[in-house]
Amino acid sequence: MLRYVLGRLPSALGLLAAASLLIFWLMRLVPGDPVDTLAGPDASPEARAAIRAELGLDQPFLAQYVDWLGDVLTFDLGRSFVVGGQVSDLLAAGAVNTVVLTLTALALAVTLALVTAVTAVVAQRRWLDALLAGINTVALAMPTFATGLLLVLVFAVVVPVLPSGGTPPDGFVARPDIALQYLLLPATCLAVPVWAGLSRFLTEALRSQLRQPYVTTARAVGVRHRRIVLTQALPNALPSAVTVLGIQFGTLLGGAVLVEAIFTWPGLGRLIEEAISGRDYPVVQVLLLLSVAIFVVTQLVTDVVHAWLDPRIRIGGAA
Amino acid sequence: MRAALATPKGVAGLVLVGGIVLLGVLGPLLAPYSPTQQVPGANLVGPSAAHWLGTDDVNRDVLSRTLAGIRVDLLVVFLAVPAGAALGMLVGLVTSWWKVTDVLTQRVFDLVLAFPTLILAIALAAVIGPGTTTIVLVVVAIEVPVFGRLVRTSLRTVREMPYVEAAQVVGARPWWLLRRHVLPNSLEPLTVQLALSMSVAVFIEGAMSFLGIGVKAPDPSLGSLLKDGTRLMYDAPFLSLGPLLVVVLLVLGLLLLAQSLSEAHRD
Amino acid sequence: MTDPVTDPLLVVDHLAISFAHPRPAVNDVSLRVGRGEVLALVGESGSGKSMTARAVLGLLPPGARASGSIRFRGEEVLGLPEAELSRFRGSRIAMVFQEPQTALNPVRTVGWQLREALRAHAPVSRAAARARAVELLSQVEIPDPEERLDHYPHQLSGGQKQRVVLALALAGEPELLLADEPTTALDVTVQAEILALLRRIRDRTGTSILLITHNMGVVAEIADRVVVLQQGDVVEEGDTRTLFAAPQYPYTRQLLASVLRLPTPDDVPAAPLRGVPEQAGTPALRFSDVHVRYGSSRRGRAFPAVNGVSLELAPGRVLGLVGESGSGKTTLGRLTAGLVPLAAGRVEVAGEDLFSVGARRRRELRRDLAFVHQDPEASLDPRMTVGASIREPLDIHGVGTPAERRARVLELLEAVRLPADVADRRPRALSGGQRQRIALARALVLRPTLLVADEPTSALDVSVQADVLALFRSLQQELGFACVFISHDLAVVHQVADEVAVLRRGEVVESGLVADVFSRPQHEYTARLLAAVPVPDPAARREPAPLVEVAS
Repeated sequence: MLRYVLGRLPSALGLLAAASLLIFWLMRLVPGDPVDTLAGPDASPEARAAIRAELGLDQPFLAQYVDWLGDVLTFDLGRSFVVGGQVSDLLAAGAVNTVVLTLTALALAVTLALVTAVTAVVAQRRWLDALLAGINTVALAMPTFATGLLLVLVFAVVVPVLPSGGTPPDGFVARPDIALQYLLLPATCLAVPVWAGLSRFLTEALRSQLRQPYVTTARAVGVRHRRIVLTQALPNALPSAVTVLGIQFGTLLGGAVLVEAIFTWPGLGRLIEEAISGRDYPVVQVLLLLSVAIFVVTQLVTDVVHAWLDPRIRIGGAA
Repeated sequence: MRAALATPKGVAGLVLVGGIVLLGVLGPLLAPYSPTQQVPGANLVGPSAAHWLGTDDVNRDVLSRTLAGIRVDLLVVFLAVPAGAALGMLVGLVTSWWKVTDVLTQRVFDLVLAFPTLILAIALAAVIGPGTTTIVLVVVAIEVPVFGRLVRTSLRTVREMPYVEAAQVVGARPWWLLRRHVLPNSLEPLTVQLALSMSVAVFIEGAMSFLGIGVKAPDPSLGSLLKDGTRLMYDAPFLSLGPLLVVVLLVLGLLLLAQSLSEAHRD
Repeated sequence: MTDPVTDPLLVVDHLAISFAHPRPAVNDVSLRVGRGEVLALVGESGSGKSMTARAVLGLLPPGARASGSIRFRGEEVLGLPEAELSRFRGSRIAMVFQEPQTALNPVRTVGWQLREALRAHAPVSRAAARARAVELLSQVEIPDPEERLDHYPHQLSGGQKQRVVLALALAGEPELLLADEPTTALDVTVQAEILALLRRIRDRTGTSILLITHNMGVVAEIADRVVVLQQGDVVEEGDTRTLFAAPQYPYTRQLLASVLRLPTPDDVPAAPLRGVPEQAGTPALRFSDVHVRYGSSRRGRAFPAVNGVSLELAPGRVLGLVGESGSGKTTLGRLTAGLVPLAAGRVEVAGEDLFSVGARRRRELRRDLAFVHQDPEASLDPRMTVGASIREPLDIHGVGTPAERRARVLELLEAVRLPADVADRRPRALSGGQRQRIALARALVLRPTLLVADEPTSALDVSVQADVLALFRSLQQELGFACVFISHDLAVVHQVADEVAVLRRGEVVESGLVADVFSRPQHEYTARLLAAVPVPDPAARREPAPLVEVAS
């Protein structure tokens, strides 16, 4: 098992290194010289050269990259061009909000997916299957920005019962009831596509597990259907569902950008959107790297969880 | 494939997608105004006989803008996705022949796929600036690894089929195997992915324009219309309903096509 | 054992099962199983034997409709709702399945699955369940039962898995055991062990067994009575000895006639040579100290699939490769066809080293090579017509004009005894036997000098297998190609091969003329293999081995 995990590490690290190089290179391609922005239009050539040297822009590309990577790894993320202030402070503030939002959405999506998939498979009712499949397809067809818009229109404009955006003024801990009101719409919006994808996959996976011969074996010794679904089919379907969830996590990160834009949620998604429109490249650079890192780590974690859930990988050694 | 499209799901998908394609193609004939024309006196008018979908805050007719906006999505769906798919399949086909290029290409695909789609779109938009071209490029960039991977797995599966081996044993060259057996038998699963990718492309266009890194104002797209709708939500909640419906129905139609194709493939 | 007529345990009366398809799966089946009796339900694929057994436990696939009557101890079970059926499942009637690889839950331990079976009938404490599970594993003669409880199915061998499946079935102490092809997926030596075990379980516990099988050898070995099914109808039934000695119905006679037999020690030794007599000159195929490894050699986890094999095959002769799973026989066949890489040694086809000649020369050599695959489902491209498939090798090498190619296709269809109009059909519309004939036709279209046939008949019914083998033999004699014939079935090899090589774990344990090796095996393993083959003659039934008391 440990060997399995260690075996995955080099390729994950390699991927991260390649991604960081790509991001750094992309950001050098961006039109416009940061020196212009900082020095202003009237600066003398000497002043420009001084700024250039201070920023390290006179160094060769690779040296700049190594420099930057070293800074990133020591959490010395530099100053924002536009907003001002330490990039790391901006990140820390945004990260809390984004983490709360995405984790809530993830928990919501996973719980609902488990409930709907298991219910459909246990109940074995035609009308329920059709109903859930219909809701599922519509949910898959709703782009996040459309869902968000609709939710705000219905629950904040037409029937104003929930706040249309923003974070709870007293934070998440002091008044959980108010925090919940603020979280409800954006988290639901973010959770919808993840729920739809996961529950669809899980339902199919459970059904295909129920067609496996071991299920017939269990039925033949008298185990009840519900018990077979819960204790036999589900543990078999879970490993691949975890992998699917890992892939869905990318959707979640992208979706967070949209949801934070719609619900004016001051998280990392807002930060990257603002940084792009303000050409604040040190911030963009770090955020891009962060999102790739999160994705790579997620993949690694899902691989490990998958392996741990499946004794054929966990124990190995076929006879 | 024909059988798949004759199922209820397939027919519904065809009708939805076909209807919206028709609206987009005939848009210039149907639209009462030009998409950027400002109608005097019609500021934030609600749905009415003169303006079925109302007008926006600079007096433009939303129906006309929606019809024009469909055309951007059609471009992305029916040009960018097939282009990306074709390029991806070509790359996947060619590089999987040699071990070195195969491993290398797979690593590059890993790299591209490690960026969440929207994040990649943001990065590219930062480099080349917003615009319809950027949307097309983003879609192509995403679809190349998706199809490159798919064609590779598909190839591997078919290449190990006994009928391919039988031809290989009597001395068929690789090109022969590819043309006669491998390609025809591996294309079918690709049609499912094509329909899925098309629905994703609508998402991407919408999301990018929504964030302001898609089409440039004043040109409309479904995404930018929704952005306007969000901005003017409290003044004119009806503004976004038309484009919203079009986006959802287009994606739904493509998804239904994908589902009918994959269900037929499974049987 | 009680009389099945006066005091039956299970009575099936006029059972019919139908699907949405026009033809019913089971048409009219009536049978009785007496207490303590082993009743064999025999038939080929599509005869409805499995469906009959599944109907007893209410395990028919969705969409199936059953009518008639199934009574267990006089109580009607057909059409009972699921909740009612679970009173019977496991505790009174249990079932053992064909495929031990998939019949167990891969993510649960053996102990967990046994406990689950025990809990289905009555609440049991963990400790009691564990003790009973150990007892059950001992009953099916698994060594170290305590330890095995914590194993997952993938850590067990195929035979051990089947024993666990059997233990699951015995958990509820059933009075009737339905065994659906319980030994078909197993190696022949393992099959013999499982059959012996079934017999001992019956003797020990008095459990009745309804055995579903296509294998007449298995029937002769274990059954008290036989019911023969053909396309959903019972065509004959009777006492095993009587039925084997004097079959009444033509289908039964045909079924018994198509069973291949190995020579018994009393037979006249050395059957006449069938292939072209051995000639001097270049061998059609020669392996010199051949090694093949599987798995990545880079990570040092490669294991040898073929380990130092040296063999020679003269032109026009048939070499049978026999062995159990994992013996390397298939790998050796695929190596000959150039489908797997060679790790060390030489493979010479017609005197030339297949793996060191240039690509161009290898292509030429391959013109004289052909390969027939085991799986009739996948051996033809589903998108091509049969004619196009047979013609393909001609197209590849640009042999002849289109008209000549068409003529050659028709010629071959005739040679494999199929009507000419088959050429325009797609493989999907054909039966397994027809597809294998077409695969054979395609292999022969270029008049190869060497044919590799990998278990070409193992997926076919016995009667079809007999036809295909007869066809193969006559074509081989007519066309005179050399052949490597791979099979797990010793009787098949005995039927078609001149020479035989017995493989075990990638090595040749014995080789020589078929007549010699089969009648006077030199190696202990060969003898064991031969002894394990069930003899389709109830009179020759081996006496049950003395009861082995297993510590529990």
